[in-house]
Amino acid sequence: MDGPACATLEAVRRDYPVSLHGVGLSLGTAGPLDRRHLERLRQLADRIEPCLVSEHLSWSTVGGAYLNHLLPLPYTAETLGVVAEHVEEVQEALGRRVLIENPSSYLRFRHSSIGEPQFLAELARRTGCGLVCDVNNIYVSAWNVGLDAEAYLDALPAGAVGEIHLAGHAVNDADGRTILIDDHGSRVTSPVWALYRKALERFGAVPTLIEWDADIPELEVLLGEARTADDFLAWATRRDEHARAA
Amino acid sequence: MPALRDIQDLFREGLLGEPSSALVDLVEGNGLDPQARLAVYRHHVFTTLTGSLESTFPVVCRLVDPRFFAYAADAFIRQHPPIGPCLDEYGSAFPEFLADFDACRPLPYLPDVARLEWAIHRACQAPVCEPLDPARLGSVAPSDIAQLRFLPRAGLVYVASPWPVDAIWRAHGDASQAMPDLGSGSVRLEISPSTEGVLIRSLDPGSYALRVALSRGKTLEEAVSTASALDLERAIRSFLDDRIFSHFTITTAEGA
Repeated sequence: MDGPACATLEAVRRDYPVSLHGVGLSLGTAGPLDRRHLERLRQLADRIEPCLVSEHLSWSTVGGAYLNHLLPLPYTAETLGVVAEHVEEVQEALGRRVLIENPSSYLRFRHSSIGEPQFLAELARRTGCGLVCDVNNIYVSAWNVGLDAEAYLDALPAGAVGEIHLAGHAVNDADGRTILIDDHGSRVTSPVWALYRKALERFGAVPTLIEWDADIPELEVLLGEARTADDFLAWATRRDEHARAA
Repeated sequence: MPALRDIQDLFREGLLGEPSSALVDLVEGNGLDPQARLAVYRHHVFTTLTGSLESTFPVVCRLVDPRFFAYAADAFIRQHPPIGPCLDEYGSAFPEFLADFDACRPLPYLPDVARLEWAIHRACQAPVCEPLDPARLGSVAPSDIAQLRFLPRAGLVYVASPWPVDAIWRAHGDASQAMPDLGSGSVRLEISPSTEGVLIRSLDPGSYALRVALSRGKTLEEAVSTASALDLERAIRSFLDDRIFSHFTITTAEGA
């Protein structure tokens, strides 16, 4: 916590608001949360005073091993109970509301009895948590496991969405079938921008993050992606203002 | 309906080894073999952990070739998956793993190069804390000096090797330097963080023994007894000047 990485983050924080986005809490693990990790997160949040704190609807640790990935959950009543309990524990430890993000999916469990957006909606209702709507993840999951992306957006509770994520994805071949990989390594694709516009129509002008953390390009390319998102957000803001005025 | 914990145990076994039929049966195919779906997750776990090891052990990777490194990393990850959520802390067992890895036997210096790289990696992560001001020792009564204990600054690590691993490390980190003569002898190294980056000091045997003993919490008297053939006054002056400790205590009187 006192190393050079934290010092860099503090330097950034002096000039910009920061949104803390976690990947290591493993909210979906059947078992206790890693209290040491949660305490480190609490200390970091106390120090950085982020505007938002978010985590994923996924799991990564079991039996003492951390599989560094956002692994898939079966959407059942049991899982809902586990994740809700962990989200409440995190919110209590941090003394604030957290946002939970929809993961990118490459498989679905046969015994899942709840749809993913319905699961997130019920999680938000039970715990009071907010949601991160990762539009690229919806697009990727819809392709990979056969979902209706627009119906997914419609099923999310609009008032709970506090942040939107966008990213590029890779197009891979798996046994002769195309599978989309959420690799954060390229420009946001046109269909994802189109879905983003629909997300803004539904959720309003929500703070938006471009995720690009593999094969990082020249800064100008990143700034170009951010400007495109800003243009959409400006459109959504005008739309919101018209709606309020009407 | 399978319990969540049972599914997660099956998933872990399936990612680090081969997926069982019990796991495969839980996954919807939907136009694609469930095994191919599970392979997406396994591929991500192994490529990101291999990438993390490559960035922590870049010289080991260059010494053995990236394809062999990936082969060794694959075996390491299966035997030693991460035990914490922070990737920066992953890889501490890699040097020992390489020492026992049969395919690495032709490169006997490789585990020690890995130990040096792990020490450098940890020093890079460590906070640069305030060093002990030697002037503060002026307040210590002469009768207490033998009982002084020093607290090392975060990120201070010692590595000894029968191979010139510092020269090997430099030769493979900077193409302008020639590969050293492997028979050029043993080294005793001190790795520490500093405001200018990581410092690697080569120490004589006496100073090395003294500093290692002090960094492990021995009293000055005990540490001196481990270091033979030492110009004591010079050695003490030197470790104070090198600012490798942050605090001191005295065992027989009140701590400072």
